[in-house]
Amino acid sequence: MRRSRIFPIIGAIGLALAACTTPQSSPSGGGGSSAEPSGGGTATGGTVKIGLPGYPDYLNPGLAVLAESYTIYELVYDTPITVTATGEFVPKLATEWSVSEDGLTWTVVLRDDATFHDGEPLDATDVAFSIELYRDTVFPLLTSYAEPFVDVTVVDETTIELTTVDPMSQPLFEGNLAAIYVLPEHIWASEDPLEFENAEMIGSGPFTLVEAQQGEFVQLATNPEYWGTVAAIDGVIFQTITNADARITALTNSQVDALTEFPATAISTLENAEDIVVNTAETPGGQLRDIFFNVTTAENCPTAEETGGAAGVCSGHPALKDVAVRRALAHATDKEQLIQVATLGTGSQGLSLVTRSHGDFFASEIEDYAFDIDEANRLLDDAGYEDTNGDGVRECLPDQDCDDLTFRLNFPDDSDTAPREADQLGDTWSQIGVAVQIQGFEARALTALCCPGFDYDIMIWSWYTDIDAGGLLAVATCEEIPSGFNETGYCNPEYDTLNDEQAVELDRDTRIAQIHELQQILIDDVVYIVPYYFVSIQAWRTDTFTGWIEGTPTIGLEDPTQLVVLRPNE
Amino acid sequence: MSQRGGYLLRKVGWALVTLAVVITLNFLLFRILPGDPATAGVRDPRLNQAAIEDLRARFGLDKPVILNLEGGNPFDTQFTAYLAALARGDLGTSFAYRDRDVSELLGEALVNTLWLILPAEFFAIVFGVALGLFAAWRRGRTADVASVTFSLFMWALPIFFLGIILLIAGVTWFDLPVAGRLTIGAEYASLADLAWDVGRHLLLPTLTLGLALLGEYMLIMRSSVLEIFGEDYILTARAKGLSTYRIIRHHALRNAMLPMVTLIALTLGFTVAGAIQVEAVFSWPGLGSLTVNAVSDRDYPVLQGAFLLLAVSVIVANLAAEVVYGWLDPRVVED
Repeated sequence: MRRSRIFPIIGAIGLALAACTTPQSSPSGGGGSSAEPSGGGTATGGTVKIGLPGYPDYLNPGLAVLAESYTIYELVYDTPITVTATGEFVPKLATEWSVSEDGLTWTVVLRDDATFHDGEPLDATDVAFSIELYRDTVFPLLTSYAEPFVDVTVVDETTIELTTVDPMSQPLFEGNLAAIYVLPEHIWASEDPLEFENAEMIGSGPFTLVEAQQGEFVQLATNPEYWGTVAAIDGVIFQTITNADARITALTNSQVDALTEFPATAISTLENAEDIVVNTAETPGGQLRDIFFNVTTAENCPTAEETGGAAGVCSGHPALKDVAVRRALAHATDKEQLIQVATLGTGSQGLSLVTRSHGDFFASEIEDYAFDIDEANRLLDDAGYEDTNGDGVRECLPDQDCDDLTFRLNFPDDSDTAPREADQLGDTWSQIGVAVQIQGFEARALTALCCPGFDYDIMIWSWYTDIDAGGLLAVATCEEIPSGFNETGYCNPEYDTLNDEQAVELDRDTRIAQIHELQQILIDDVVYIVPYYFVSIQAWRTDTFTGWIEGTPTIGLEDPTQLVVLRPNE
Repeated sequence: MSQRGGYLLRKVGWALVTLAVVITLNFLLFRILPGDPATAGVRDPRLNQAAIEDLRARFGLDKPVILNLEGGNPFDTQFTAYLAALARGDLGTSFAYRDRDVSELLGEALVNTLWLILPAEFFAIVFGVALGLFAAWRRGRTADVASVTFSLFMWALPIFFLGIILLIAGVTWFDLPVAGRLTIGAEYASLADLAWDVGRHLLLPTLTLGLALLGEYMLIMRSSVLEIFGEDYILTARAKGLSTYRIIRHHALRNAMLPMVTLIALTLGFTVAGAIQVEAVFSWPGLGSLTVNAVSDRDYPVLQGAFLLLAVSVIVANLAAEVVYGWLDPRVVED
């Protein structure tokens, strides 16, 4: 159920592979992407149908939180900067950008040939208006991308200046601008941005909105006046097919041309079907599975005043505050088995809060805790945890306010695989004298237990990470405990200082080193066990359209880069 | 006042009392659950506290729930706001679909649901009653055993499973659409074309729901008819030399329909709230889908509206059953 596959914008901009990234790019080109289309031809026409599990929650870009919405925005709107499949930031509406000596003022030069779907020209005032609109309206996600720009100045028709209070690293700046969907000032200026339905969706992107039926479909047509590569197809229909079996059936019977999401159990069926290609890859930014511990102490348990709501319960198991216990649990976690159980082997082995799709920022040199039951037992023995009553569960230490190492293990019940993962954890952990009480909760109930309530011992959940490697690292900072963004109660001033430094570091190599060190701290202190990173699975038919892009490190077959190079198969 | 008038008035009175209780429970129920609609389970680094506070204030969630005991107007609460709006026929604005009125959302979903369930109910009633009669008439013979087995099978089969089987078969062999109400972007040359397209889209979901309902209707109808067949007045009719058709038509059917009326009224009331599983399998944007989504989004106004609609439809269906009862069996009115 749609549930709420919440899709942070970071993932969204990641999906925005560059449509036509520079004025010089070749008409058939995949922009900055190194991958070549797998087919070709000169045919045009045809409407591509893509089956989606859900439906956009809003046509107004400010309000949306669901992935389906951002898929549509990427096609209908342009952003100043965009990101390629290889994670590079490249020009889109902006042709170049630079920062002043003091690192506080960014000058952005825009192209002069973009127009909105209603024929009005797009110029610097629209870009400035959009940034200010996102900044000054309390939108759930997009506001944070515009907030740093305290001063926005239109220099001339194609130039704007953006001023920040603190210096900002270049990838952070580019990431922020990749989330600014440029809105037409002549339409939005007279509307209340929080109430505006935006039913016509006038943007400047490669596709225009034809019709949107709530819960059923969104139909887009190719924008023949687009300043970049004009798509060869007539348009695209995103049809909502909620049931996974129905989606698979729709693809095998040619009722849709592509699927962006389906269960791993269907991979072999589709791989054996004729004229269907299955493609798996990480999504930009990526999504990770995390197992995390409640380590809140009496000192940092949030008060009602700090949370703005109820005070934290902070009922975490005392033994989990002992890093030796957490390390033993990490050693007793069989990541490969979890990958099999949860993703049928499609996931990639996890390390920490930075994923492989973050490239150089991923600390591949760090040695993870090997799956080693003997080592785990040895750690617990050395720390003094013994099973004195012979019930198979080790007792707590005398100075801990608990009986034995029996932990509550909770997970969101909208995850199909979490119950099996919990069973798997309970199984290997039982071999080191640890017992778990497994219980799933509805996601909102789990949030209430989690944070900032801290009324749990161990949880299994998942995160979408930011396209910027540093985005998720703030979950382990002290200042985020009262907000509940920090879900573990972990507080380490050394970590916080380093995290503050990387956020404003302008030198890429220095920042990489800092982010590697942050990952090392998280591994050493075992705040999180990250068993795996999710990959996306997509599939398409080769007999209806050709030109599907394969072999990129990340995928998004519904993004502009892909759709502009598709051609009907004759 | 006539006996019948008093009977009706009593029934309507009780229906209204039930409704009042439902409205109150409806309001309280959702608010004692854990979780916060403003954050709705969003695990996102970019949703900050200020944004959450703003969402709460916009939806009035910052007010006390029932009574304001912190000074000011004691009735400036979420409950009184709810009652006042309800009196105006205003069901509020959805939390999840912020720009939409709940009544508008419910109205659209209700229309879609009726499209689905009315043909299905019609199919199930006609064939269920006919098959039940037929099986009772051919009691103990092959036809009876076959129809009872078929009905038991349909009744026992989980409806989503039946739906998926029919979906795969219908799509693969008959090229029927997997989802939707109409072909997207299609232009229709004539009304017949439109009707054909509608029919193709409706066939699978309607058949699924119809078959699932049919089993139950058939079994109840059969046992009800069999019971009547054992009555003395049927024996008398037979002794008079009446044909089987006349016995069924004039003596058995009307009495045998009494339990059917209860059953049909009950299921009709509940299916209005959405044939949730059928809607899920066929991506049908009806009340069931809307309700399920509202549950996961903790969309109070939509849930309250949907539950109110469900309660009203069950209450109305029951009221209708009582009226039909009075007509089928006048003794009910006299009691």
